[in-house]
Amino acid sequence: MSVSLLNLLNSAVDNYPENIAVSHKDVSVTYIELWHKVCDLSNYLKKNGLNKGDRVSLLLENSIEYVITYYGILAAGGVVIALNTATKSRDLTRWIRHSDSKWLFVQADHPELLKINNSELNINNILVGNTDIEINNATSWDVIFKSNYQILPELEIQNDDLAAIIYTSGTTGNPKGVMLSHKNLHHNICSILEYLEITNEDSILNVLPFYYSYGNSILHTHIAVGGRIVLENNTLFPKRILKEMEDKKVTGFSGVPSTFALLMNRTKFSDFNLSKLRYMTQAGGAMAPANIDRLKNELSDVKFFVMYGQTEGTARLAYLPPDQLVIKRGSIGKAIPDIKLEVQDIDGNKCPPHVTGEICAKGDNIMLGYWKDPETTKKVICNGWLKTGDLAHYDDDEFIYIDGRSSEMIKSGAHRISPKEIEEVILELDLVSEVAVIGVQDELLGQTIKAVIVPKTDIKINKLQLLSHCKENLANYKVPKIVDFVESLPKTPSGKIKRFMLNKTKIKEYNNV
Amino acid sequence: MSLEEQIRGYVLENYLFTDDQSALNSADSFLEKGILDSTGILEVIYFIEDEFNVKVEDDEMIPENLDSVNQIVAYIGKKQGS
Repeated sequence: MSVSLLNLLNSAVDNYPENIAVSHKDVSVTYIELWHKVCDLSNYLKKNGLNKGDRVSLLLENSIEYVITYYGILAAGGVVIALNTATKSRDLTRWIRHSDSKWLFVQADHPELLKINNSELNINNILVGNTDIEINNATSWDVIFKSNYQILPELEIQNDDLAAIIYTSGTTGNPKGVMLSHKNLHHNICSILEYLEITNEDSILNVLPFYYSYGNSILHTHIAVGGRIVLENNTLFPKRILKEMEDKKVTGFSGVPSTFALLMNRTKFSDFNLSKLRYMTQAGGAMAPANIDRLKNELSDVKFFVMYGQTEGTARLAYLPPDQLVIKRGSIGKAIPDIKLEVQDIDGNKCPPHVTGEICAKGDNIMLGYWKDPETTKKVICNGWLKTGDLAHYDDDEFIYIDGRSSEMIKSGAHRISPKEIEEVILELDLVSEVAVIGVQDELLGQTIKAVIVPKTDIKINKLQLLSHCKENLANYKVPKIVDFVESLPKTPSGKIKRFMLNKTKIKEYNNV
Repeated sequence: MSLEEQIRGYVLENYLFTDDQSALNSADSFLEKGILDSTGILEVIYFIEDEFNVKVEDDEMIPENLDSVNQIVAYIGKKQGS
């Protein structure tokens, strides 16, 4: 029998039809209501020419519409391409084109919508929300639900059929689209459910974007069991988040280290009645042990799960059981149920304790590969093992500790950012001769972005102009926070930039206007 | 320079990277327009505390006080008058 997220949704609809599935602001949708909408959307797509395996892009903030669209596409046999809503049109159009998407479900007030549609993409737009905007090939979201609800026809899904592509970086050249099958998603969701023990009585306040694998796993784990997801799309005002957790009596909360740091910066969990809160999860980089201790002190009855994962592994690869949090301080734990995780040396042999190697993973959650990029796929999946690029060691009990990352990716808040992407945008300015972008330590975000720039001879660069160019072409979180102008970049004799020196040495300021 | 101009200038320079005053309306919601992220709002609070000698209490970190230039101006006025 084939497995898919749709089986899990079906079972939740059968068992808990009147449970609230998703709440956003003052609107909620029950499982049976969600299912009817999913069927309507699926039927609409099929009637309008969607064939099995066709890609459909989503450019939607976390919302009830997002959930309907995601499952509606799967039910129609389509492939979900959930796009990062903070991204600017140049990467969005690149991803839409690269995935050959035929449809785009998009927030009608998305600031990049016009630019995307002016870029000669041949795509059908479904506009969610009201707007005065007029573009070609556009249909209003409401049109989909005008006909009476119809039962969904049977759909043949194979385990290895493609279900979703998650783009992990923009950049020029080959965008990296992680291909996830129905089996990948189903398997990883079931593993997570096993150790988090989420049930239909659970409800989570979700602040993480669904277009990332972490948020994606939160969405599907709760839908799978008939749980409730309360959406809050903004962490600007931490007190509001905690009040919402109290008011909605949520049992779960998930974040990246910066989420917890922000919440604890100016508020105290203990000031709120969070008696229903059962567990919290943290992934997306190492959280400062001091912050974990503080959290545990304030919420001693709440289970705190440290987790580790990668989009290439669908979402989750390892977790540290809450009862090991103090004993195995700083560890990411061990493999989640039903997958293999090993620290391996360069020859693919398992490392002994205290010897650093690369974390490798094997299991039904490992991606099919990168979309249209078999070469890069071969580099990261060898003999069935996914090479994560993360360096780590075992302790004597085979708990895993991260030692470093072998890639240059910057991890800032919930985001993984390619320095190359930012460098390419900065180099588009005629005034710049050379640039190197690095991540520097930041108390709240883990890392923040620093650009070190060599201007062309005798040219003075206006910093505002430079940052404005970045903002126009990059998601806001990719705009450098620190900009240094220097006479030259430190390099090895072979001409490679010594990135570590950009972080550690004091750089002479130059022409900073 | 008025209080409103100072605050608008700070947001324009640090988050919109422009000195074009028309790029930001004083009534624009930082939250709805996506002008600030969660670390941005903390930086704005440090700016308010340093520049205007106002202590932003934890309980006062709410949208009603801090979600637009106009709201910040009113908030600072209230704090300085109290």
